[in-house]
Amino acid sequence: MERKTVIEVNHVDAGYDHPVLRDVDFKVFQGEVFVVLGGSGCGKSTMLKHMIGLNPPLAGTVRLIGDNIWSGDPAERTRALRHFGVSYQSGALFGSMTLLENVLLPLECFTSLPPSARRLLALMRLEQVGLREYAGFYPADISGGMKKRAAIARALALEPEILFLDEPSAGLDPVTSAGLDRLLLELRDRHGMTMVMVTHELPSIFAVADRCVMLDRAAQGMIAQGKPAELRDYPPNDTVRRFFNRQAEGDKS
Amino acid sequence: MVVKFNNAMNADEVSALWTRTVAEAAASQSGATLTLDASDCATLGGAASALAVELRRIANERGLKLELRDPHGSLDTVFRVFPAEKFAKIETGLSGRSHSLAAQVGESTMRIWRDFVEQLAFLGEMVSGFLRLMFHPGRLRWRETLVCFERAGIDALPITLLIGFLIGLILAFMSAASLRQFGVEVYVADLIAIGLFRELGPIITSIILAGRSGSAFAAEIGTMKVNEELDALVTFGIRPAMFLAMPRVVAATLVMPVLTIFAVTAGLVGGAMVLVSMQVPPVTYLNHVTDSITLPNVLFGLGKSAVFGTLVGMVGCSHGLQTGRTADAVGRAATAAVVGSLVLITVFDGAFAVVAYFAGV
Ligand SMILES: Nc1ncnc2c1ncn2[C@@H]1O[C@H](COP(=O)(O)OP(=O)(O)OP(=O)(O)O)[C@@H](O)[C@H]1O
Ligand SMILES: [Mg+2]
Repeated sequence: MERKTVIEVNHVDAGYDHPVLRDVDFKVFQGEVFVVLGGSGCGKSTMLKHMIGLNPPLAGTVRLIGDNIWSGDPAERTRALRHFGVSYQSGALFGSMTLLENVLLPLECFTSLPPSARRLLALMRLEQVGLREYAGFYPADISGGMKKRAAIARALALEPEILFLDEPSAGLDPVTSAGLDRLLLELRDRHGMTMVMVTHELPSIFAVADRCVMLDRAAQGMIAQGKPAELRDYPPNDTVRRFFNRQAEGDKS
Repeated sequence: MVVKFNNAMNADEVSALWTRTVAEAAASQSGATLTLDASDCATLGGAASALAVELRRIANERGLKLELRDPHGSLDTVFRVFPAEKFAKIETGLSGRSHSLAAQVGESTMRIWRDFVEQLAFLGEMVSGFLRLMFHPGRLRWRETLVCFERAGIDALPITLLIGFLIGLILAFMSAASLRQFGVEVYVADLIAIGLFRELGPIITSIILAGRSGSAFAAEIGTMKVNEELDALVTFGIRPAMFLAMPRVVAATLVMPVLTIFAVTAGLVGGAMVLVSMQVPPVTYLNHVTDSITLPNVLFGLGKSAVFGTLVGMVGCSHGLQTGRTADAVGRAATAAVVGSLVLITVFDGAFAVVAYFAGV
């Protein structure tokens, strides 16, 4: 069955002033968990910023459900922006608002639901990440992992078709992390949500990822693409093999 | 009543359905039947799930009989993930903020007291730091001090010159208009020179410093606190007050006399322009000015401006160090730094005037 293409990254050169990655090119299909892998500082967050319309890529285009996010047409860009939710690497919660208000904000801006409905919906989102009891807390008063989860609740508020997650499980204990994996799978299976996730957690990659792409700093680009189990069992090159075997550079297996 | 959930209802449809059905359910008699019909729905969207939970909650609360038509199990899934009892009361203010007047007054009093104690502790730390610096000047981070000096001083020159010039101009113009009636407009020169050196020069320069640099000190240090950079310093065994505040306070103290001289000079130029335009010979103006710039006047003015600089630096840094851990706290710290500086400058200016009166300076 031919699946619908949700994200198209076309020959993107990623970077700020100078390219960090060259000619990145991949597609993400509907209802799939797509993981972006790579060593620290290789440009994963940079790539994500190009995909969510924060920094323009140095070359190439990104299409989300057919809409070019870097289009000159403001209407098309706005449409592209409405397709997704993002949880940032640092959480990026608004410090002057409670968790509930953080989750409510997109609902207030973009839906016509009555206030009590928005409130309940926001509380349900917080319940999904296990933070309902902390709804009235300020971000400064909760732990790092809780901030991560609250950020995911906020990203989910509008039930986006695509969810971008930058290292959602960094700083979470294995149990909470596994709970997060289950939430992601549930969102994928029940709502057909498409997810693009940056992560280093091998257990989490094998648990949730349908496909992954590996970026590399030395090669300045993509070095592998495929199912995680295939990449582990038949690594196309040394970098991939070392990554999946958790070996430091120079170690012999 | 029957509430029918359709497949792929959009938010606007749910919104309309919500307003209608929730009101109707809340008005129903106890014992009435409420039917939730999801027979067309394989899965419920977020807003529709919220509606189901809300209706179930109301049904429980009002004793309605709930009937589910749920061949796909979609309602069942929603109720399993979001048990209606858990959302029984939509809580507010969980953070423990009390709203009674007495509690708020008490909290504010405690906060003011804590602020006061912290300011005193900071003052003590700075004074002991100054004393230690007297003996070991090398301990100061001179590079950082120079950077602060440049930002607070050299970058502030244009605005200081402009405002000094305008103040001189306005002062000369206003006083000349009156003194001219007595034919003594030449004494405007004395008035400007003394007024600028003793009062206006230090005051306007310190207001500029408070607005530009005092707020910046508070915001810089406050942001570092938000980013846990201050915690990092503490774990290195470095005292943030010494490491961050001392260079800024020293820079502010040193920069103020310099800026004041520039402001006064610009003011005198402004005054000269007015008087020359009123046919006072430039030489006469210059003579009057040099006569009134006596050493006590100059020392008094510059000493005062150095003290104002110290005040601005200390208030800015102490508010920065006491910032809360959120972005709006940084904004509040910057505001408090400026307001606190202005208040202290006014108070100290008054004190200087009293001291000068009794000392006969
Ligand atoms: N704002 C920026 N301006 C210029 N260069 C940047 C900026 N942010 C990151 N970089 C550079 O881009 C490269 C990739 O950074 P990026 O944040 O994308 O790494 P990453 O793969 O997300 O790493 P990590 O796993 O540690 O989060 C780095 O070499 C970094 O120096
Ligand atoms: Mg990153």
